[in-house]
Amino acid sequence: MGNLYHNKTAQWLAYAAFFAVLAIVPMRIDDDFLLNQLATYGVYGMLALSISLCWGFGGILNLGQGIAFGLGAYGMAMTMQMQTQTESNPIPPLMLNNGLDYLPMLWWPFANTGLGIVCAIAVPTLFCAIFGTIMFRARVSGPFFAIMTLAMLSAFYTIILDRQAYTGGVNGITPPSPLQFAGVEVDPYSPLAYWTVFFALMIATVLAKLITQSSFGLVTQAIRDDAERVRFLGYSVAGYETMIYTIAGLIAAVAGCLWVMLVQYVSPAQLDVGFSLSMVIWAAIGGRLSLVGAIVGAFVIQGAQSYLGDTFLSTWLLILGGFFIVIVRFLPNGLASLLEAALGLFATRKPKSSAESNGAEPVPAE
Amino acid sequence: MDFGSILNALILGVSIASIWLIAALGLTIIYGAAGVINMAHGELIMLGAYSSYMLQYYLGVPYLLCIPASFVIVALVGLILERGLIQYLYNRPLDTLLATYGVSLVLMQGVRLIFGSDPKYLAVPEIFSSNLSLGFLSISTFRVIVLLVTALLVLALWLLFYKTRFGVQVRAVMQNKEMAASFGINSSRVYMLTFALGAGLAGVAGSLFGVLNIVLPTMGASYVVQAFLMVVVGGGSLAGSVVASGVTGEMQSVFAFFTNDTFARFLIFVLIVVFLRFRPQGLFAKAGTRR
Repeated sequence: MGNLYHNKTAQWLAYAAFFAVLAIVPMRIDDDFLLNQLATYGVYGMLALSISLCWGFGGILNLGQGIAFGLGAYGMAMTMQMQTQTESNPIPPLMLNNGLDYLPMLWWPFANTGLGIVCAIAVPTLFCAIFGTIMFRARVSGPFFAIMTLAMLSAFYTIILDRQAYTGGVNGITPPSPLQFAGVEVDPYSPLAYWTVFFALMIATVLAKLITQSSFGLVTQAIRDDAERVRFLGYSVAGYETMIYTIAGLIAAVAGCLWVMLVQYVSPAQLDVGFSLSMVIWAAIGGRLSLVGAIVGAFVIQGAQSYLGDTFLSTWLLILGGFFIVIVRFLPNGLASLLEAALGLFATRKPKSSAESNGAEPVPAE
Repeated sequence: MDFGSILNALILGVSIASIWLIAALGLTIIYGAAGVINMAHGELIMLGAYSSYMLQYYLGVPYLLCIPASFVIVALVGLILERGLIQYLYNRPLDTLLATYGVSLVLMQGVRLIFGSDPKYLAVPEIFSSNLSLGFLSISTFRVIVLLVTALLVLALWLLFYKTRFGVQVRAVMQNKEMAASFGINSSRVYMLTFALGAGLAGVAGSLFGVLNIVLPTMGASYVVQAFLMVVVGGGSLAGSVVASGVTGEMQSVFAFFTNDTFARFLIFVLIVVFLRFRPQGLFAKAGTRR
């Protein structure tokens, strides 16, 4: 028997157990604020999942995941803001406060809830598809792509900050009432909101897992390990890279929508460089080669930040930074690789080194 | 829109360029020579500002002596960082990026713990805080000082890289590490020294920026992305960074003249992404540099 960690049936069972635990939570908790907080962790889990998919399985380190998340969040916030506008009062206050007395064209689609949500998800996804196509066709990869995403993220951050009349500038958008969807009000503190996030996270995880096990996923993993060799085998490397990058962007955009649904707030801080990097930290600490590991990483880090953060307020970043350095230096595949090693001890025959060589070794730049 | 104000914008552009360049110099050396993406560069700049503050506040060292002293202090920090962490990650470029981001968190929070998050100020001699006016032109004296220091550093680096034995060794390691090693160059030592040198340059930048702006634990974050873009656009060479900073500094100033500062920054970011799409290797990439 090989390492249980690599057994597909065992993996699916572990996923089922993981989501079963998450499903029990709302029955055990009757604190609405805690439930809301746990739901936001679910959103962070989705972000970590998208990073794991893109970076762990596609080899594309994306430091600009905040673009997809932020644009999705802004789209949702605009939709929710427009829901509270009436016939007699059609212009959101943030525009009136900035001397704009008509609804700009940018906001028109968001006047309709359905169209607004579709736009909130489609626009960031389309952006990822276009940006990815342009970059990967030019064979921009590795650290270069990371820096380009960083530049793009900074560009979006500054433009949102600058166009105050359209985006609310540094204050962002604070929709006054919860999302109304198909006649139902999604109260952020209700179990309904939790279940929405739960199912979104579960669907995203299952889809991501299926993708990584499909032949498409195998090709992206091959590209991660040696892009040049895959290119010589006749695959369109740019096409595969764009696809996995766009899927990750789609997940992040949905996460952005759900996040605004939960907190009723968005500001340029969601496109801050630090936030996008913390998504990478979640995935790195949890284990970028394990989807569920990355999600757990987000839960653990954000949970620790909320609970330990109060006690060790002044040293939290110090602890996180130090821990992150240790992980990168000694455990490049995160905490999930500890589990892998532990289960490996029980394997009767030493498994082939396919797993060990997955990411620990340097990925050649070209 | 008269001629005078355009000229003023152009001169301001030179000053902006010198600020961007001095922030990027240390990074250029570290990235160009060792291929390390040092996300902690902004925090090394911040350390430079704080070491100047410390020397001035506790020991009463005159400001002009604080600049070289910051160089030495931050270079030592860089040396420790390289020996303790970076040297194990040279063949994992993405991991150096992440590890140095962890370092930047630690440095930022460490400084905040020691000095608190209230702003500090660096005092400068009287003559530096005046304005130079030349007819219709007016520019603060300190910005001229920054420009002069930047020019001096570029000259010194050029001499170091192209006229000394150490410079030849660095360039040899840059072009081909294994080949250089087979000629008896200790590449590990070269990496160590270039990293320390780059960190020291960040220290100098910090002691200057501490005067231009206030000194805060978070001040480094605003420089790092910008500095990176200069290095990447320049292709990792000294001349590349000089030209890249010059052009973007002027563009920033001219765009800001027609729109505003924030929108100008947005335009610059977008133009840089477009430029790198067509020339990912940067302005002056030498053939045969390892990538």
